[in-house]
Amino acid sequence: MLRPTFLALTGLMAVGGLACDDDPPPEASLAEVPHTPAAASSRRLTGEQYAAVARDLFGPDIVLPGRLEPDSRAGGSLAIGATVTAVSERGVELYVDAAYSLAAQALAPERRAQLVDCDPAAEACVRRTLGALGERAWRRPLTDDELGRLAAVVDRARDALGDPWAGLEYGVAAILLSPRFVYRFEVPAEGDTLGPYAIASRLAFFLWNQAPDAALLAAAADGRLDTPAGRRAEAERMAADPRVRAGVRAFFGDLFALDRLDALNKAPELFPHFDDSVAAAAREETLAVIERLVVDERGDYRDIMTTRRTVVDRKLASIYNVRAPARDGFGEVELPADGLRRGLLGHVSVLALHSHPVSTSATLRGMFVRETLLCQTIPDPPSGVDTSIPEPSGTAPTLRDRIDEHLESPACRGCHLVTDPIGLGLEHFDGLGRFRTTDGGAAIDASGDLDGAPFDDPLTLADAIREHPDFVPCLVERLYRHALGREPAAGDEALLDALTARFVGRRHDVLGLMLDIAESPAFARGALDDTEEADATPEVP
Amino acid sequence: MAVVIKGARRVDRPHRRHILRGLLAGGAAVTVGLPGLDLFLSDNGDARADGGAIPPRFGLFFWGNGVHPDAWVPAGTGPDWTPSPQLEPIAHLRELFTIVSGCDVKVPNLYPHGSGEKGILSGAPVKVVGEVETFAAPTIDQIIAAEIGGETRFGSIEFGAEGGALSHTGPNSPNPTENSPHALFERIFGGGFRAPGENTDPDPRIALRRSVLDAVLADADAISRRLGARDRQRLEAHFEGIRTIERRLARLEADPPQRLACMRPEGPSGAFDPVEGRAQVSRKNRVMCDIIAMALACDQTRVFSNFITQPVNNILFEGATAGHHQLTHDEPGEQPQVHTIVRHLVGEFGYLLEALNGIPEGDGTVLDNCAILGTTEISYGRTHSLDEFPILVAGRAGGTLRTGLHYRSPGRENASKVHVTLMRALGITTAGFGADEGFADESIGALEA
Repeated sequence: MLRPTFLALTGLMAVGGLACDDDPPPEASLAEVPHTPAAASSRRLTGEQYAAVARDLFGPDIVLPGRLEPDSRAGGSLAIGATVTAVSERGVELYVDAAYSLAAQALAPERRAQLVDCDPAAEACVRRTLGALGERAWRRPLTDDELGRLAAVVDRARDALGDPWAGLEYGVAAILLSPRFVYRFEVPAEGDTLGPYAIASRLAFFLWNQAPDAALLAAAADGRLDTPAGRRAEAERMAADPRVRAGVRAFFGDLFALDRLDALNKAPELFPHFDDSVAAAAREETLAVIERLVVDERGDYRDIMTTRRTVVDRKLASIYNVRAPARDGFGEVELPADGLRRGLLGHVSVLALHSHPVSTSATLRGMFVRETLLCQTIPDPPSGVDTSIPEPSGTAPTLRDRIDEHLESPACRGCHLVTDPIGLGLEHFDGLGRFRTTDGGAAIDASGDLDGAPFDDPLTLADAIREHPDFVPCLVERLYRHALGREPAAGDEALLDALTARFVGRRHDVLGLMLDIAESPAFARGALDDTEEADATPEVP
Repeated sequence: MAVVIKGARRVDRPHRRHILRGLLAGGAAVTVGLPGLDLFLSDNGDARADGGAIPPRFGLFFWGNGVHPDAWVPAGTGPDWTPSPQLEPIAHLRELFTIVSGCDVKVPNLYPHGSGEKGILSGAPVKVVGEVETFAAPTIDQIIAAEIGGETRFGSIEFGAEGGALSHTGPNSPNPTENSPHALFERIFGGGFRAPGENTDPDPRIALRRSVLDAVLADADAISRRLGARDRQRLEAHFEGIRTIERRLARLEADPPQRLACMRPEGPSGAFDPVEGRAQVSRKNRVMCDIIAMALACDQTRVFSNFITQPVNNILFEGATAGHHQLTHDEPGEQPQVHTIVRHLVGEFGYLLEALNGIPEGDGTVLDNCAILGTTEISYGRTHSLDEFPILVAGRAGGTLRTGLHYRSPGRENASKVHVTLMRALGITTAGFGADEGFADESIGALEA
């Protein structure tokens, strides 16, 4: 029932098997790995990126636009959505409104000195100001033509309104509402090689979820980003900068779809513990745990499945039944060593997101493990099938009992046998993620089998995932996709193998993997997309 | 233009005196009364003070998770139908709409909910590129907006209490749904709106804003030159959005349309956040329906989509013990909770009809000059079926559509024929609607007046 990707990736681990714990083998240079670039795309800034850049340009206290075109998920990924989705008319309207709002704030009397250090009545001052802002906002120096057009807008506005500051506002707005601000044009400059400024943008948004800083733009101008060593050097500088935390958070937030927590819906009578603040805290917990593991400790990524350390506030501590680390805010706690909760699959974020508003869902939780953690594809249910599962009864009190009845249908078995046993391994956690020992009055049996690895509770399930041959290659593939904004293609396979081998050799250091991806040839390349236009959008009849 | 006071309204349908009532729970969300609207009717019954013809409009009302076909299809056909349990909430409005039953959405049903939403809204199967599933063709509202949406401030408006981005201009080109009544109001009746008779001096900033957009558009070729085919199209959509705003600004500088029933309403008040974990679907919907009704009366747009809820939504409706989608699959027996939710959503469709029917226009009401399609993405939620598809058609499109009927398809016709019917009723010349198995080039004659 599964598509071929189901087990195809297991072969990759043979490469990983070469790794030795203490002494990584000599590595082939990534530049020598055969690689054929797939089509590159321009990428619309996500809402988070737009906000981060606006704060960077105008100061941390700038009031951000209340709404922008929503980010869209495509193939489960915001990074892909940002490369394939077209903006709506309403979205353009919101970008225009946002540009005027930011421009007005930026040039308000109390703030304007941050942006303008000269008298805007002078032509030279206008050009200098727009040139400096434009280079940061468009992530490359402006041409004379571009500057001239912006200056003309300012002239006209100044003359009409009789105020040079008001005039300048229109120039700032013109910079911000241009597609050159809203999109990152990661497209080839020549052949299949990206230009240096496109590489700089790709690096900055990948590592920082933010626009390039002055040093990175200087590296682009010097041609230092054209070589793997040059990219690596800049990437290492950036990985040592606190801003890398935002980059790591953006990737994992997208991977685990933590933004969906904002719209989480739980029946209040069943889950009186739950409200919006719990959803926000759950998101923070997962991101903070990852940040500590990946950035602070450069630890083994696989430990995300098994660590008993977590980061909670008072409300989460109450749900986990541990002592709150602090009266306000978050702190690290160690979950009890004799408990069944540990690792990512013990987080409220994952448990609550992949449940129903009133109950757990073995299928949704199993799908999360299969699709997100193992990169396997589960087909949609066939149509025309009664998808209901029996109500709890005396003979079938638990979810497992009810699913067993449900799985007597051959139309359902094929896929549900792939997902549901995993989810049943997490039945000790209710629809919000609270621990329980019974379901419908009967004891929970959390045992099962993951592709040949038996487990009998959430702890051993987490071990089975940690050691699953698809677990590590899946992370490499997802991070690569995130960096390039496209699905890996056949021409990427050898490089993915090589990146995986290095990742294994470096004890699954995610930041190291990010550096390797930045250094790899794929990072500086992209083919011109030659899709037939007729295929891309049909004419309106 | 002289406005002559009429002694009696020619409209024989009941009107709401208070057009924007937006009430029920919480009351006074939108607070504008319109006493004596008949004062505004011109002598010849033409509601436009400038004497122009009343334009036809299109509206979509869409909810998620289907119906129970057995409790949906009414007994009897033609004008003599007996309301089914799920249509009972709008039985009192029966003269305002027609039920179309017995049609199928013909696209291959490969993706639960996905095939249905694409099939009923675009007539085409799901388009899959890599791992991305999207629409293969524009949705019906956008096809119609391309034809009749060009003259108004907004080509189309997408809103809905809890809906998502289902309206599509093409593949991967979703139009987001405005979920906030406040934001919907602000967009239409905020800064950019001028009511008839509100004459302000031309604001020099409007011309300056246009010059900014000109400067951005002057850069369009340079931007697009380096891009691949798909990116060029995405950017072209972006530039088209900018051009639309330019046209809108130009219209602001000119006179607003003179529409007799048009008044600047007051904005909604209060919060619309979920109460104790339950979304306020009805309260939000009713306020938004009132806003859109006045937007049509003021000719701010001629095409709207009301996505009240989303396919697969798991909203906890009032009194329900589980989310809507989960209930459609897991609630046993006759599914009384799902039944209640469907009736609730049908009642909200009724509210939309009443809001549009409450505003006089010409010899009738705004609703009379609309063609409204009411539907969902599947017929029976439990099995994701696309047969016996629930379809409601309301409004008379200026006299070209018949209402008050139950049309029972004699031979499981293609649901796309309904779209063809509506387009033709709106005066749009079309070769057909949909693609592949979903394509239809015939209308349903029984619906045509």
